[in-house]
Amino acid sequence: MPEIRIEENGLETAEKLEKELNKSNLGNKEQKIIMQVENLSKTYSQGKILVHALRCACITVRKGELLAIMGPSGSGKSTLLALIGTLEKATDGKVILDGIDLTSVPEKLLPRVRREKIGFIFQHYNLIPTLSALENVELSMRFSRVPKKEREERARKLLEELGLGDRLSHKPSELSGGEQQRVSIARALANKPAVILADEPTGEVDSKTRDSIVRVFKELSEKGQTILVVTHDPEVAKECSRVLRITDGVIKDN
Amino acid sequence: MFDLIIRNIMNRKVRSALTVCGIALGIFAVIVMGAMSENFHQTFERSMSVTSDKIRVFAESGVFGGGLTDEKVSDVLRVAGVKDAYGLLMTTFDEDKMGMTGKQILGVPPEKSSVALYPVELKAGRFLNPGDSYNVVVGSNIKREYQLEIGSKFEIHDKYFTVVGILDYTGSIFDNAVIIPLETAQDLYDVGNSVSYIFAVPDERVDAEVLSKRIELSVKGTSTLSPDELEVQARQSFMIFSVITISSGILAAIIGGLCVMNTMLMSVTERTREFGILKAIGAETRDILLLTLGEASCMGFLGGILGILVGSVAVYIMNAWLANTRIVLFLITPRLLVIAMLFALLIGALSGLYPAYRASKMSPMEALKHA
Repeated sequence: MPEIRIEENGLETAEKLEKELNKSNLGNKEQKIIMQVENLSKTYSQGKILVHALRCACITVRKGELLAIMGPSGSGKSTLLALIGTLEKATDGKVILDGIDLTSVPEKLLPRVRREKIGFIFQHYNLIPTLSALENVELSMRFSRVPKKEREERARKLLEELGLGDRLSHKPSELSGGEQQRVSIARALANKPAVILADEPTGEVDSKTRDSIVRVFKELSEKGQTILVVTHDPEVAKECSRVLRITDGVIKDN
Repeated sequence: MFDLIIRNIMNRKVRSALTVCGIALGIFAVIVMGAMSENFHQTFERSMSVTSDKIRVFAESGVFGGGLTDEKVSDVLRVAGVKDAYGLLMTTFDEDKMGMTGKQILGVPPEKSSVALYPVELKAGRFLNPGDSYNVVVGSNIKREYQLEIGSKFEIHDKYFTVVGILDYTGSIFDNAVIIPLETAQDLYDVGNSVSYIFAVPDERVDAEVLSKRIELSVKGTSTLSPDELEVQARQSFMIFSVITISSGILAAIIGGLCVMNTMLMSVTERTREFGILKAIGAETRDILLLTLGEASCMGFLGGILGILVGSVAVYIMNAWLANTRIVLFLITPRLLVIAMLFALLIGALSGLYPAYRASKMSPMEALKHA
């Protein structure tokens, strides 16, 4: 939980946004900007007290970036991810993803945005326990009304690429933590999203599994998949193309 | 999506089975009570069709009040517009059972027996003829119960009668009727020349309602029931009976519905996180609604099928058991089956509505935080 503070910082300016863009250690200025977060804030009330979970966050992300978001517990990392992922509504600011202003998308269309533009990876995998690995990956494609044959093929291919070709019919309880997380990655990739949002994806796995997950992320990033990873783990951050540090709801170091 | 619905039901086998049983029990009650009501309905409709062309004339004091004699029949016959009139004596066949079996002695003038019973047809033999005294025509249930054939001897009130006619099955009160000559009946039950009521047949061009009023005014000490009035009166009585029987069935089904709602609410609460995940990966509100409502409706459907099957078997067994006493109490009609099935589906869907609404309205973030 971030500290309770009265908002006094000024809004991030367009220049600052520009600077951030220039500072991008991706180095490839030709690469397309896939996401822009402008002055994103989230305030909620706890009784009579206003809590600023996120203040005027500005981020620019290029296509194919593997971006780490670090910070202490309660600093606002997950809130940032939830706002980008449209799981929560921002109090102020904008998130432009793949040319769409997510903050102005009507509530009714948000599920479609989540399906088509965003892939989620969670710390606790969040797989549906009663479905097999293949069915879990198929799930978001079901909601996109992808025909059965096509979604089965796509899910199978993704799982095979992630080394789970022999685990297709296994339920999550029959898979190791690393395997479950790879199923979760496959699920996130299923609808070919513009960005993958991973919230502490290595938080529950051993170092060996962590390395394999990071390796998958790097490979995906090299193929042009944009990934935002919230992590506590410096080893994960080290492998990312850029690191954002966030403290008390404010992006400190970009 | 249907496979997910079935899987969710199958994943909670015991709970789902208990819920389905709850609905099945309700639908069982609907079937049994409904079958009873349907049987009465059919008997009522057929009885109405059998007697719909006649005006009933009673003593002012009612059917059991006495005071209606053969002389009154002559008075009724004299009223303008009355084509024919004859008195009937009606009494219970099994006095020791207080008439609970529904069997009735019907004393009819022999020459009028075919018109009095019209349009009931004979299965065998003949109607009563003038001059018959200890001859009897019996309804189909009486024939079956006492294993009577034409020429059989049949004991009524310590006297032996010869069976001369057997009526076709009608599904009406005539199936339990024992028809004997009026005079014989009056002697047998020692009622002098009294009759229970008079049937007045209107002329073709005469309005039965108008004639009914005219008889009341012309023949002192009588009250009448025109075919329309009789139908209204009978329908009201039937309606009350139906409301009582059907509502007890519906009450049981509603309890089954609450059972589904409870299960679905528990299931939705347990699966809060799952719904959060589904929403996070792009499930629409309608997808969540479909999943939850589909589950409830499926349980309603399964409960309906089970309830109908068990109810039908129970009705069959009870009818078979009651066949020994020659009483038909239950009748399952296609209409009843359709109503029971629709009711099961409706109960399932309605019970799932609130849990589905709750599931669909969950904030994905809040749902994901749920332990």
